[in-house]
Formats: sequence, structure tokens, C-alpha cells
Amino acid sequence: MENFNRRRFLKVSAAAGALVISAPGISFAQGMSNERYRNLDTNLGFYLKIDGDNKITIGYSVPDDGTGVSTALPMLVAEELDVDFKSVNVDKLPPLYKKAEGENGYENQTYKGQPIHQSTGGSQAIRRSYIMLRQAGAEARARLVKAAAQKLGVSENDLSTENGFVVHGSNRLSYGSLVDAAAKVTLSSEPKLKDYADYKIIGTDQPQKAALDIALGKPIYCMDMELPGMLNAVIARCPYIDGVVKSYDDSKALKVPGVRKVVRIHRIPEDRNQQKIISDGVAVIADNHWAALKGRDALEIEWDDSKWAHADDAWLNSEFDRMVKNGKREIKIEHGDFDAAYAKADKKLEVAYEQPYWAHATMETPCGIADVTKDKITVIAGNQTAVRVMNDLMKVFPEYRHDQFDVTLMRLGSGFGRKFIVDAVTEAALCSKAVGKPVKVIWTREDDLEQDFYNPKGRHVFRGGLDKNGKIIAANYLHCSTDNDFATHAFPAHNIPNYRGEVVHKQVLPSGPWRGPTENVAGYAMQSFVDEMAHLAGQDPLEYRINMFRETGDTPHPGFSSDFIRADRFINILQIAAKNAGWGKKLPKGHGMGVASFMTFGGYAAAVVEVKVDDDGTLTIIKASGTCDPGVVINPLGCKGQIEGGTLDGFSAALGQEIKIDGGRVITNNFDTYHMARIAQAPIEFEAEVAKNNIEPRGMGEMALPAAIPALCNAIYAACGVRIRKLPIADQLKTAMRR
Amino acid sequence: MVKFTINGKSHTFNGDEEMPLLWYLRDEAKLTGTKFGCGIAQCGACTVHVNGQAQRSCVLPMMAVEGEEITTIEGIGDESHLHAVQKAWIDEDVSQCGYCQTGQIMAVVSFLKDYPNPTDQDIDENHSNLCRCASYIRIRKAIHRAARYLRGEM
Repeated sequence: MENFNRRRFLKVSAAAGALVISAPGISFAQGMSNERYRNLDTNLGFYLKIDGDNKITIGYSVPDDGTGVSTALPMLVAEELDVDFKSVNVDKLPPLYKKAEGENGYENQTYKGQPIHQSTGGSQAIRRSYIMLRQAGAEARARLVKAAAQKLGVSENDLSTENGFVVHGSNRLSYGSLVDAAAKVTLSSEPKLKDYADYKIIGTDQPQKAALDIALGKPIYCMDMELPGMLNAVIARCPYIDGVVKSYDDSKALKVPGVRKVVRIHRIPEDRNQQKIISDGVAVIADNHWAALKGRDALEIEWDDSKWAHADDAWLNSEFDRMVKNGKREIKIEHGDFDAAYAKADKKLEVAYEQPYWAHATMETPCGIADVTKDKITVIAGNQTAVRVMNDLMKVFPEYRHDQFDVTLMRLGSGFGRKFIVDAVTEAALCSKAVGKPVKVIWTREDDLEQDFYNPKGRHVFRGGLDKNGKIIAANYLHCSTDNDFATHAFPAHNIPNYRGEVVHKQVLPSGPWRGPTENVAGYAMQSFVDEMAHLAGQDPLEYRINMFRETGDTPHPGFSSDFIRADRFINILQIAAKNAGWGKKLPKGHGMGVASFMTFGGYAAAVVEVKVDDDGTLTIIKASGTCDPGVVINPLGCKGQIEGGTLDGFSAALGQEIKIDGGRVITNNFDTYHMARIAQAPIEFEAEVAKNNIEPRGMGEMALPAAIPALCNAIYAACGVRIRKLPIADQLKTAMRR
Repeated sequence: MVKFTINGKSHTFNGDEEMPLLWYLRDEAKLTGTKFGCGIAQCGACTVHVNGQAQRSCVLPMMAVEGEEITTIEGIGDESHLHAVQKAWIDEDVSQCGYCQTGQIMAVVSFLKDYPNPTDQDIDENHSNLCRCASYIRIRKAIHRAARYLRGEM
């Protein structure tokens, strides 16, 4: 079936299939318009478009939220195709879905029996595309070579390819001159992929293909899009956690010039004991965003705040006290006998770390555009995954068939996990249905920070015991969290012979994935704990970590994306980061260096941070050295950007970010109260390095952050002796140094 | 009625004069390179120039732009004539998601007029735009690079 489809596809060039070589004269619609693919069959697949003039365009179908997949994925195709990547155009494809069996309405289209990965998140875009996209490039190249051999009447073995040409001695045939014939040839076997040693594009620094459009301010985000006749909506969502509208009066709102309609939006799901997908509220639909905002201000709404009216930060902290003391513990991982080993430990430490709720605060606030007509639902979104957009909408609009949805995903003004949630688009569709016109819903920053799916708040309680040699022989890690997702199995769980990881869970604010879910806070807690144990043992924190892995070798890691932690890779990145930082060198007074390392989603990260703490508690981050080992590095320039950004994102969260609640609602609802770092908080010096190896790649988006936060906290301890056991750091140092 | 220019072109506005310039630019002039980020002048995603000086357009009501010359990202350079700051941004591969970067660029174009040879401290004290991807390491490099381009050193 697969082969049949591919043959059929290649014969007709621009019809359905997974690999496209378009013949000259068959042109795809040009321009930035969302209309571009409408005239083509759906399920295009990733494609190569080679024009007669040898202009090469490589398509990709994963939305880019800033991790650089729109450059890295085409590099995979280009590597096998043998083209000059600098001259290659890249082009975002519409999502490629198909009707699924069973409960879900849609699933990703497949190529060679494998689903085409089309979402960004979970550090998976590269990992899930590494083989498939190279196969696509290799198949195209093999066809071009075969076509050239037939044309020249020579053996394929006498031909080579380079920079978009098939070469035979001094004779050079452009790919563009061969596409007609290449579409017709039959390949006798699956083309062989290149060896790692022969890569010419993979592993080279490639600037972001979108850099020019970004610098010119071209309309590339959902927020910038329009449909003809579109109206704008803003929504007054219940500011109280899990609250609903009791009653409302829209008479004043409807008098605001430009306001067209006021629509009640009901919470999904209705059951307030389940986490919301969309909040209860009232939408104001107007000619433009400003009129909608003024209309919203004029609404008079009485809210039902009864569910969490008692909730504030003090109450929540007392809930954590209760969770630690007598919460129902679930053991997630246990080996050896913690209690017996701890009882006879030479030195002991009992310590707790706390971290607050963090918001995603994506730079582009949630936004969605929808046009619901009798026959069709058209959607423009800035979401991380198209299939989830389809499936969530289908639950709200079950009367539409799968072929009546048309979803376009734009570049995302950052995602960080927030844009897996399909709320803004669903709201836009509900508004559109009510008003009979296309509607764009824009969230204000207050909407965003009040209504987010936060990174869970947590408290991490450790008991650790050392033997006479300073080795950790026993540890108990209790993670109390507002979400039911944990990483108690992460490093150093399997480096400690007697270990028990257990958890207690209580849901309060809605929560969702945030860069490096769970690992982001487990990294802080576990790597602060290791540091404290090293100091308790009187040993160098870097050597301490390295020795742990020298002793155990590879350790199991029964988590997402990897089955074990490789000792050699772990030690290697620690050593690289330490070398780049000058670990062990004599530092000026008030300076200190901290180290941490962590494995997230199969990628390894180490960070060494140097800070200065003045006598008055003023903190300066002098330098950060970040190293990651994700396996094969596709684009080192982009990977280093992710190390830099991920590390600084961690610093920002650690320094000042904290969602506070009072009276059952979030009160830190814009950047004046939710403090995110600016350039002044960033270190002047940063040394990013990616390890080199040929192990099948993992993602890069989430690696750096879980090690960055504890490295910063450990550096602060080294500089001034103050241990950060509660995030954010905020003004803790000023208070501590005053004492 | 408010009269002003955007990127050298005359504009007349007859609507609600409390509306911030940002929403005129985006919803009426269809110049979407200027971004919404916070609405309270905290993040700088909406930075434009008013008579050559950086201003945050999300809090600048239309009544305040009477007679002013507004410049947006669309007005400082194009594909064949990039502004030195745009060129530096591309050359340093600054952007990740890219959403805040037009505001960053507009802020830096204005900053470099006052600080043609900036120190790191000048940057820290004067450049406060938020980048959620935290691309600050490369933003700093790009500011220094743009300054060198503008001084004719590169």
C-alpha cells in the first residue's frame, strides 16, 4: 500500500504522498498567505520542491516556537540530498493528519509506516524526525542519480552529487533539470543513509532561516493574522480559581462604540473538580481589540468564588506542612533499605527545598483565530501541536466531520509547554459560532498570568546519610507537589545504594508542562541536595559528582526518553563545563563557583556558574558555562542558543519568578509583579559548548534549565555561605547578609 | 482628529483618542511588526520611535501623537537595505522565537544614538526589553556589533 501510494504520488507530482518532487511548471502558490495550500490535496507530507531553475525548497511540518526546528529539520533533508544549505529555502507545511481509529479523531500522517512527528515539545522534534527526514532526502537524491544515469547512459556508480548537481566527470546536471525523470524512475532498494563521518551539513553552524523575517517584523505569528471580515474578542474570565459567572450585566458594554456582541463562555469541562480546559467567562466581540477591551471593562459581573476563596499563599504553605507531616505518601522508587542504612550513617542531613508556581508567560500571549461556518471550521493558531487542536475542537463541535476542519499553525511567539493547551482557539471558535463571523481572541498579559496552567508548586524533603568516607549511603526524597508528576528517579537516585523516593500530591491551581516538566524543579532540589552532601563530606562538589558515576557506572533511568544514564557522557559534560569555567582557580573575595548536572529527556546537561555576592547581599552572576550532550548535534549554533536561553531562563525563574495567590485568585498578573530577568541580570560572560558524538540525537529545548538553577544556588553558597532552600532567591541574600 | 506620520506617510485618526498607538498600528495601519506584550510598558515588545526616540506604544494614547513622526520596525530598513541593528541581529543569530525582537531592535536603534560606543554597564542600565527566550547573551553581542557597524568599524 505504501509503495503504491508513493509511486502514484510521484507520478502525479503534486498529489497526496509523503515525498514530493515537483516538476517544473507545477507551481505551489507563493506568498505569505494562508491560502497557499488550499488548492492542493491535503496530506502533502514533508516535501522537496525543486524548480527548473534549481531553486530548492524544503518543507517541514513542525511549528517552531524558537528552538530552531524550522532550520534544523530541513538540514536533515538537505544532508542526504546534497545541496548547498545556505541557498535552500524552507517552508512551513500545513499539518498532516489523518482520521484515527477509536477515541481520538485525528492522528499524525505516516511515512514508511512511522507517524510523521509534527509537534514541538518534550524535546522531541529532532529525535522523532532524525531518521525519517534523512530517508526523504536520500530517496530524492537516489531518484535524481538514477534519472541522471539513464539520461547520460552511464552507471549510477560513476555519478556523485554535490550542491544540487549530479556530477559525471566534468559534466554537471542540475537537480532542476532532472526532476521530471526522477519522478518516474523506480528504485530497486531503500537508499542507504550516510555515515556520521560523511556529514557535510549536519554539525555545521546554520543561522536561523527565519532571522530575516523576524528582524523585518514580517507577519509570521498567529497574533498578526487576519481572516476577511474578522472581529476581535477579549474575554472576562473568572479570576477566581475554578470560579464561575454568577450573573452579569452587559448593557454598558454594548454601548461602547465598536462592540458588536457579548457572549457567555462556559467552562470546559463543566465539572469544577476537573482541571479546566477553558475558563468560565463573558466574551466581548468588537470591531477591533481596543473596543473589545473597553467593552470588557464596562461589563458588570458577579463571580462565584466559593471553591477556593480561602486560598492564599499562607494557607497553601500550611497545606504543604500538612502534606509533609501526614500526606498520603506513594512510594515511586525504592532500592536497598533506607531506614536501616540511615540509622547507622556517620553523618546525616535533613533538609527541605521549596519552589513556587511559575507561569509560562509566553512572549506572544495566547491567541486564536477561528471561522465557524455551516460547512467548515477554519482555524489559525499558535499551538505546539495540530492534532491536539483538531481533537479538542472536535469535542466541542462534534457535528463537524474531520474533513471540515482546516488548521493552520503559525510560528509561535514562544511556547514552553503552554501552547499544548487549545483554549484560545476554542474560545475563538465559540465566539465565531455565536457571531457568525471570523473572530480573533487575544489574551491580555493579565489574562495570561491569571489563567495559566502553571508549573506546579512544590516542597522537596530530603534525608541523607554519609558513611565514614563521605559517600551517600542512604537518601529519602519526598516530593510534595500540586501536580501528579514527579522525577524522584533522576540522578542521583540510582547512585545511592539505599534510596526511597516518594510523593504526595494535592491539586490547587491548574498545572501543565513547563520547560523540562518536573525535571525543572527536581533538578533544583536533587542537585542542591548533592551539593550539600558534598560539603557535609568535605569534598569538592565537582569531583563528588564525577566519583559517584565512576563508582556506579551507567545507572538505570526508567523515565521519559531514556532507559539509563551513561556515566561516560555524564562525566564528560561535567568536565567540559568545569574546564570552560576554570573550576578550582583562585577566585576574588566574595566570588564563588557552583556546579550541577542533570539528564532530561535523554539529553545531558552540566552547568558551572560563577557569582559574586557583595557584603550587602547584592548578587552578580559573573559567568555561566553550560554544556549539553544531546547526541548528534544538528545545528551547533542553534544548540548553543538553547543552552544560553535555557540557562538564563532558569536564572530568571530562580531569581524572581513567583506566582502569588490571595483571596482565591492570582495577584501577580503582569510583569510589574511577576518578575522576569532582563539583560542586566544576565552574566556578561557565557561559554556554551555541545559535546560531540554520533549517538542518535535527543532534543535540546529543555536540557539546560534543570542544571542551571542548582548551579546558580550552589555558586551562591560557595560565595557567601547562604544556602538557597526556597525559590525565588528574590531579596533573601540581602536579608541573610544583614544578619 | 489626530494627524501624524508613520514611516513618512501621513495618517489621520478620527476614533477613540484614548486608544494606544499600538492598536492603531496593528489593527488599523496593519503594521503588525510592532508587538503586544504586556500593555503596561514593562516589556518593550511594542517599542516604536516617536521623533526618533524609543517609546512604548502600548501606553501611548492616540491623542499624544498629534503632529508626531512615528517610525516602526517596517520603517527602519527593508530586505535590500537592512538597518545596521537588523543586520547585527541576523549576524549574531539572536532570535529564538523572535516575537520580542522587533521591539528589541527598535529600542537599540534609539539607544545607540545616545550611546554610540556603549559599555556593558550602559546596556544594563538602559536596555530593559524583556526576551522570554532569554536571548540576552546574543542581544548584548548584537548591540556591540551594531555599534561597530554604525561607527563604520566593520
